[in-house]
Amino acid sequence: MVKGKMKFRWVGILIIIFLISTYCIGAQVFAKLSKDESKSRADVITIDTLKVFGYLEKPEVTFLHDVHTDALEKQGKDCLACHLPKSNSIPGVFKEAVAGIDPLSPKFKRLEDTARKEVMDIYHKFCIDCHNDMGAQKLETGPVTCGECHKESKTVSSRQPAGMDKNLHFRHSKAREKKCEQCHHEFNEEKKELVYVKEKEGSCRYCHLENPKEIPVYAKDSAQISKLSMKEASHLDCISCHRKTIAKEMDAGPVKCSGCHDAEMQAKFKKAETIERMERKQPDVVLVSTGDKLPDDGRLGNVRMNAVAYNHKSHEESNDTCRVCHHASLDKCSKCHTLSGSKDGDYVKLEKAFHQIGTDKSCLGCHELNQQDPKCSGCHVFMEKGRKQADESCLKCHENLTPDMMNLVKSGDNTALAEKMMKARSTASETYPDDDIPEKVVIKDMMDKYQAAELPHRKIVNTLMKNISDNKMAGYFHRDKGTICQGCHHNSPVSTKPPKCSSCHGKPFDENELLRPGLMGAYHQQCMTCHKEMKLEKPAGCTGCHKEK
Amino acid sequence: MSVSRRKFLAWMGGAGLSTAFGTKAYAASNKQFKGYPDTMGVLHDTTLCVGCRSCEDACNKVNNLPQPEKPFKELSVLDKTRRTDSKTFTVVNKYDNSKEPKNPVFRKIQCNHCLEPACASACFVNAFKKTKEGAVVYDASVCVGCRYCMVACPFNIPAYEYDKVLDPKVVKCTMCHPRLLEGKLPGCVEACPVEALTFGKREDLLKIARERIRKYPEKYVNHIYGENEMGGTSWLYLTGVAPEEIGMREDLGITPAPNLTSGALAVVPMVAGLWPVFLTGAYAISKRKEKIAAEEQAEAVSKAVAETNTAAEEKLAKALEKAAKEKEAAIQKEVKKALEEAAAKAQEEDKEEDA
Repeated sequence: MVKGKMKFRWVGILIIIFLISTYCIGAQVFAKLSKDESKSRADVITIDTLKVFGYLEKPEVTFLHDVHTDALEKQGKDCLACHLPKSNSIPGVFKEAVAGIDPLSPKFKRLEDTARKEVMDIYHKFCIDCHNDMGAQKLETGPVTCGECHKESKTVSSRQPAGMDKNLHFRHSKAREKKCEQCHHEFNEEKKELVYVKEKEGSCRYCHLENPKEIPVYAKDSAQISKLSMKEASHLDCISCHRKTIAKEMDAGPVKCSGCHDAEMQAKFKKAETIERMERKQPDVVLVSTGDKLPDDGRLGNVRMNAVAYNHKSHEESNDTCRVCHHASLDKCSKCHTLSGSKDGDYVKLEKAFHQIGTDKSCLGCHELNQQDPKCSGCHVFMEKGRKQADESCLKCHENLTPDMMNLVKSGDNTALAEKMMKARSTASETYPDDDIPEKVVIKDMMDKYQAAELPHRKIVNTLMKNISDNKMAGYFHRDKGTICQGCHHNSPVSTKPPKCSSCHGKPFDENELLRPGLMGAYHQQCMTCHKEMKLEKPAGCTGCHKEK
Repeated sequence: MSVSRRKFLAWMGGAGLSTAFGTKAYAASNKQFKGYPDTMGVLHDTTLCVGCRSCEDACNKVNNLPQPEKPFKELSVLDKTRRTDSKTFTVVNKYDNSKEPKNPVFRKIQCNHCLEPACASACFVNAFKKTKEGAVVYDASVCVGCRYCMVACPFNIPAYEYDKVLDPKVVKCTMCHPRLLEGKLPGCVEACPVEALTFGKREDLLKIARERIRKYPEKYVNHIYGENEMGGTSWLYLTGVAPEEIGMREDLGITPAPNLTSGALAVVPMVAGLWPVFLTGAYAISKRKEKIAAEEQAEAVSKAVAETNTAAEEKLAKALEKAAKEKEAAIQKEVKKALEEAAAKAQEEDKEEDA
């Protein structure tokens, strides 16, 4: 009887020792990892590969890629420790250009997802073996039991999309001595190989789609659409090239997740002082027309709407990528967007391609989005979205032509015409001279409660003018002296002596003018909404404008 | 009268159909009370409200309510979510803005003046009344203080003067009904400096609200809260974020409160009328049962008594018989004994004579 008791006691003690030791060892190993867990990181990869074979037996694994890259680096190992070289299956110029780089498969220790069991075994074998090895070498290591990997993670992914903007493109082209063929290629259907065609370069994304399984209707028949998604293509090629450059001990781009996908790192990208224009024989100015020639019945212009002179060069300067406008190819808009719409243009008519509001791909849509800048939105927030544009605003782009220009129309020299129209344009905003602008406007409508409110009228006008002085687009659309005044003095013709607010706004809730606010509502809505939109902190509170009596 | 099989089936089918479709036809009718013509209301545009509490101040003044602890200019009050109480007919609350975290949303809360008020439908003394101007008003003289109205209100509005011992009342916003009758605006609407509150005919307010949504689709949620909620309310709301985010219930449905309760409440008069009949019937039945039971019992008792009596008599007779027999036997025994003794004596006497 006594013997039996002793036995139980010893077993108990051993169990306790075992538990404590496991806990302590575990705690040491994961001390660093669990510290990182609460953070948001750019390198969070969720391993749920087995989903392609149906279901997951255990929770998906949250894998921190950069933690592994760093750990391997310390041991002098590189990407090859986990990723296998993948041969480029498509022959051609690109293969030669990247020769010796050995693009690596983004998949872990395999090239293809073969079968459920095989893939699972690859992960379990290589992950656990490596963790065990490192543990044996008394190095900081990762988990080896099921629940330590297959568990819900608190780490939030802060991965930002990465892309090649103008600055990065310029730095790459400079570093690669303008050897465009090292990256740009297209597929030659006849030769079944990748070729480089000079001055036909485009965005990678035209052929490498986000999801190659969802090809847009207009590209269904295109031989150029690649099986490789943008994600696969960029991780294969960009990282391989960066690795090769690092191996040569040259200045190279990032190879770690956070290098490209972390917001902080992105902000630290070196900015070239002057970004040279891309060379693809793109025009400086374009005469944007329907391309639809009407029979010349003697009237000048022989088109329905006056063609628009478009400053291609300045739009290049103010945008980060060509894709902003050329969203599917670097062809001219009317190639796909025909007058009456076509399959190639996804049935978006030419008129809509230029005028649609609510998209960043059309002229008007992009200009409207620019109006959300706090410098602009104080006035523009009041303007109805989707309104019918005033006739005079059509003329801002579809300009009236001078007799000189008419002659060029007749001669059919579009480039000369566009250049001439561009030269005639001014992009300097202008308003009335200070003497014509009242310095102060005193509003005495709430004198029963407060002192009169003094509106620094001239200061406001000058601030608004200063805000748009360095903005070419704003300058162009605010060329007329009275345009800036219309932000507040709306609904009445432009004039140096516009009607007073109280001329229209009076007693509130007029049944005959349902949509017109009363005077107090008009003042407060206009002033306060504008101040809020322009993110002005002063004046704050009621007494900011109305001094106490 | 002879009815063919075919005719009989047709009649039965017809009867079945009429019961099946009767209720549906009623539900699909387009008759819905949409308020009195030209009824008034207020449109609260929460995107315009700046949370200045001018409305609360004005409400307090026009209704002669006691001054609160902190003055109305004190905006820190907004940091806590409040509700209406017996001394506050309206409150402005501040909510986080999911669209623009830097600009909180303010919402004024008061009685929504339902087109078909739940409070009125719950009140069995008709203390609440929807006026043709749009206001739901309260008559303290008939109120019995049951506070069913407070339970009924889906917006949690009516409050009770718990602090008054003798004449507590239910209190809530009156939409300034007395002022409306004088041709004045409700106090809060008049005081709002930004016209976040618009007063007018309910129909006009809906037009204004729709126009604002049409003009600025990015600014507004495409929904006029109160247009259909609980069958429609006189106060309408425009919001820039989902109403739920700024504490407005989205689970209310569009059925007016009286329609929800009419089925159950319609049973009340029936119960009241039939109750005496029921009780009398039940009483009569139980009485009759008692009578029968008593009769049965009496019968049983008498029967039992009679049985016992006969049994006892029989027993007695048997005992008597037995006793008589025993007595006779004893007598005979005694007689026999005496005879034997006498015979023996005679023999002895004979012997003695012989000797």
